[in-house]
Amino acid sequence: MTAIEIRNLSKSFGAVRAVDGVSFTVKAGTVTGYLGPNGAGKTTTLRSLLGLVTPDSGEALVNGKRYRDMATPLNEVGAVLEATNFHPGRTAHNHLRLLCVAAGLPVARAEEALGQVGLAEAAGKRVGGFSLGMRQRLALASALLGEPKVYILDEPANGLDPAGIQWLRGFLRHLAHDRGAAVLVSSHVLSEVEQTVDDIVIIAAGRLVRQGTLAELTTNGEKTVRVRTTGDGELAPALEKAGATVERLDGGALRVHGLEPEEIGRIVLDQRVVLTEMIAERSDLQKVFLELTEER
Amino acid sequence: MIALVRAELLKLSTTRLWWVMLLSTLLLIGVNLAFFIGFAGNAQGGLPALDTPEWAQLAWSAGASGRIFVMILGVVMITSEYRYQTITGTFLTTPRRGRVITAKLVAGLIVGLLFALAVLLFTALVVIPTVLFAGGEVSLTEARVPAIALGTVASLALYTILGIAVGALVRNQIAGIVGAVAWAYVIESIFLAIPALQVVGKWFPGGAAQSLMSIDVTPGARSDLLPAWGGAAVLVGYAVVFAIIANATTVRRDIT
Repeated sequence: MTAIEIRNLSKSFGAVRAVDGVSFTVKAGTVTGYLGPNGAGKTTTLRSLLGLVTPDSGEALVNGKRYRDMATPLNEVGAVLEATNFHPGRTAHNHLRLLCVAAGLPVARAEEALGQVGLAEAAGKRVGGFSLGMRQRLALASALLGEPKVYILDEPANGLDPAGIQWLRGFLRHLAHDRGAAVLVSSHVLSEVEQTVDDIVIIAAGRLVRQGTLAELTTNGEKTVRVRTTGDGELAPALEKAGATVERLDGGALRVHGLEPEEIGRIVLDQRVVLTEMIAERSDLQKVFLELTEER
Repeated sequence: MIALVRAELLKLSTTRLWWVMLLSTLLLIGVNLAFFIGFAGNAQGGLPALDTPEWAQLAWSAGASGRIFVMILGVVMITSEYRYQTITGTFLTTPRRGRVITAKLVAGLIVGLLFALAVLLFTALVVIPTVLFAGGEVSLTEARVPAIALGTVASLALYTILGIAVGALVRNQIAGIVGAVAWAYVIESIFLAIPALQVVGKWFPGGAAQSLMSIDVTPGARSDLLPAWGGAAVLVGYAVVFAIIANATTVRRDIT
């Protein structure tokens, strides 16, 4: 079921075309990574979806509706935008409480949501004293208030420590896979979302570059294997003889194109060299992403 | 809408701004009253003696000077949302932005009324003992005290919503506050002080607020003011017009 639908969305700020004819969908029960370098148009897309930015053309719909037409938006969409959306003098609990009041939700949801994100003990503290990671958790708590089935998160991993990122990954997967929610999460760091997402949409300079399932994007491309051995160069000719193309990398490692890891292993054994490193590289996604990032 | 107004009141009560502004308001009025008491009956200062009804009128109307603070409070009620970007969460919760502005105006009206009640209570606590000490008679029904009290309530409540409307229009906190103070203390002072300009000045918010009080301490100079109901209508008019313009312009803008 399509939960989020973006159709031919365009938005310019002055002369800058921030989003240029972007279309994609997000299905219920999946986590979709929205990837692109900084300034690619991710935030503009997400803010159009949330009615904060008015697109020049095209549509951005959640559950088939424009955000501005929703009567009870917090029950339909949970949004986490950048981590500065708090009054520093207000406590975490009060921040959530007034959102509950405005949205007509029971105030008890504030405590529950704080508990869900692990902030129960900081409930009575002013947000001004919060770390970036705590602010991200509070932002997530506000998204959870109405128990929606669609989540839109803009760079939610920013400012989280490694344990926090681990926790966030698990939480987003839980929302999508156990509760059937549609999760759209943006990031400019591939490795951050690679282990979390089911689908990937890549945007650069306002245009959609790739989209597909994680599996599609990682297997479509050519696989390479990075190999490092103690030998002094007998391995490369042997690999080439077996039909591989070999790139010589800095520091003596080789990047092998066109052979499966198992075949390489056999050749290494035949050559009687000691293998010190062997890594299968999922080249396509990384490459696509790096190329896009490096253009900037 | 009631829920939204409650949320707006919560926004105020969960931060420290409101009591800072209340203390500032009472402090300003306290200074005014101290001045009125200290120079009462002083021939050079031209102030009436403590036991006269004229002095009572003057003292009771001191509360209206708090309007600059409630206006700032109103400006901050909306501009702080832009400053701290809580406006994002506000509009995510209530995507129909006009409803947010309306709720803020209603909440502002309530806050202005509460401020006015606090101000009148404070004034009573200072004025009544002072007059009794001076051997005068305290009457809450004479010396135009009811009219002045009503005028204070109306001008504080209306100035709060005027502040909100101005805040919605400019969005920037510093610009909103500086603009409001400069307008009230510089431009309006000029227009209200120079007789030739009073024809225009009486239509300004400050002139309208003065007509709400219509204190006749210095008679001649007041004849140019609007009637009290006219003053109220002018203030409501400013707030509504600013709010409508804001709603059609700045409030609609992209939140990036």
